[in-house]
Amino acid sequence: MKKNHCLTINNLTMTFGGIKAVDDLSFQIYENEIYGLIGPNGAGKTTVFNCITQFYKPNAGQVIFNNKSDQSIDLVTYQTHEIIQEGLVRTFQNIELINELSLLDNLLVGAHVHYETGIFFQGLRLKKARDEEIKMKKKAEKILEFLELFERKDELVAGQPYGVLKKVELGRTLMSDPKLIILDEPAAGLNETETTQLAGLLRDIRLEYDCTILLVEHDMRLVMDVCDRICAISFGRKLGEGTPRAIQKNKRVQEAYLGTEV
Amino acid sequence: MEHIKKIFNTKPYNYYIFFGILLSLAPTAQQLGLLNSSTIIVLGTVIFYSVVGVGLNVLLGYSGLISLGTAGFMGLGSYMAAYLTVDMNLPYFLSVIISVSIPLAVGLVIGLISLRIQGYYLAIATLGVSEILKQVFIEMDTLTGGFSGKSAFYPKIFGLLELNRQFTFIGMSIVLVLILIFSHNFINARTGRAFLTMRGSESAAKAMGINLLKYKLTAFGIATAYAALGGVLYIHFIRFAYPSGWSVTLSLQILAVIVIGGMRKMNGPVIGAFIVFGVPELILKQIPIISGIDGLAYIFTGVLIIVVILFYPDGVIDLLNPIKDYIEKYKENKNEEKSLLDNQ
Repeated sequence: MKKNHCLTINNLTMTFGGIKAVDDLSFQIYENEIYGLIGPNGAGKTTVFNCITQFYKPNAGQVIFNNKSDQSIDLVTYQTHEIIQEGLVRTFQNIELINELSLLDNLLVGAHVHYETGIFFQGLRLKKARDEEIKMKKKAEKILEFLELFERKDELVAGQPYGVLKKVELGRTLMSDPKLIILDEPAAGLNETETTQLAGLLRDIRLEYDCTILLVEHDMRLVMDVCDRICAISFGRKLGEGTPRAIQKNKRVQEAYLGTEV
Repeated sequence: MEHIKKIFNTKPYNYYIFFGILLSLAPTAQQLGLLNSSTIIVLGTVIFYSVVGVGLNVLLGYSGLISLGTAGFMGLGSYMAAYLTVDMNLPYFLSVIISVSIPLAVGLVIGLISLRIQGYYLAIATLGVSEILKQVFIEMDTLTGGFSGKSAFYPKIFGLLELNRQFTFIGMSIVLVLILIFSHNFINARTGRAFLTMRGSESAAKAMGINLLKYKLTAFGIATAYAALGGVLYIHFIRFAYPSGWSVTLSLQILAVIVIGGMRKMNGPVIGAFIVFGVPELILKQIPIISGIDGLAYIFTGVLIIVVILFYPDGVIDLLNPIKDYIEKYKENKNEEKSLLDNQ
């Protein structure tokens, strides 16, 4: 079976001052795959993440993404807020939800780019704006049901348990009909049971919403459990790529994580 | 009672309409001798500052941007309306459109500045714009009458009918209700959620596809358009404006309006405007001993701001919470008694 590429990173380089945070990194993610990007502290994972989502503009290299309309585009030429329209959506390590809004409204923020009406249509509550809002609310309710949070839909986000917040953030990404979801350390702050649940949830999301997932992760349990393929990096360079089993056996990865034998 | 509750729940902005009807009964109440003529003027003041406050609430409360230039834009709107109707004899509605759109355009330019600077710096920049406008009002005396001030008339509709004070007041109430409904609608829709996301975290906003440029400009546009509209209402109701009225003190008072009334509440600015601009005139000045104190209104506002920020960060409306709790407890007790009786 021929696999279609979803995201291809070509020779990505990013420097801060004189330090090369990412050095000539290349990897490729196929469609409908759960891919993990791992590495010890300071390996440049977050920099890669930010270069993909265009929060940083890389010094060199390409980020080729196969977008919603099946065209290959170089994300580097796009502005940060335009990325989501192409079908790539991210989460944050320190959950960034809006405390003043309910769970449902937080999900609706994720559908921002799908709205067509502007402030005047909304202010005057014209039919088009009302219909659109009802349509989006139904979609959000369906996602909340999928996440088993439907009963809480009208509660405020402020004061919800951490696990719920993580789920809401995942739900918000689903609102944008993503092709590729890219998660920044989703297991951070979760205990062992919650991490196992998260792994299950990620698999369900891939099945139900037919999307590709890229994990940038520190937590080895989650990565080994859920990923199809893994790329390990250290000091901005690629150490190895392959199945979880192959990565575990990779000498260079072991050295980077555990240090070399004296 | 249940029926009335149902009406309010199905269409939330029936509250605003109900409030508007109540407000427009005030002139009739005055004619019946229930209210003083000066009370009507004070309530009119509350109305146009409420409009301005709603705009600042959208900017500061929902979008997290700050402006200390409110008074300048309000003045700009009012001088333009006066000049266009008195000196140029333009029809009333045309003058309203022009006197709102030009400050709006200036406001959008300030919005562009807000992309570059934030927080205190933005506050100072907007303050500067406001002071420049004030100086312009003083210097361009052919248009504004300079220090001696500028007068205007009550609105003249369709070139024929000049409204009296009662009808102007009713017209202002209608404008306030329309502004509240319009703002309520877009705040509880995509635009409002985008504002709140932008306030919470700019990176989250960007990741969700919210165009910061567009929404910052929208927020500034709304705030300045509402401020200018408030100015237009002012000049056609008070019928006189002079430059020193549009100082930073006024901007700060409008800031007090939304802090005291409660940020991120649609009715907050109305309550706040009543407390800041209504209560000192209507109530404090009637109390014998303290009514003689100079600057009583400022002292009152200042003390209230401290109290509100310390104890009721969500606005003075929370003062009513103990009463609400009491009523709910009372209801519960009654229900319990009832069920006990039923069981027996």
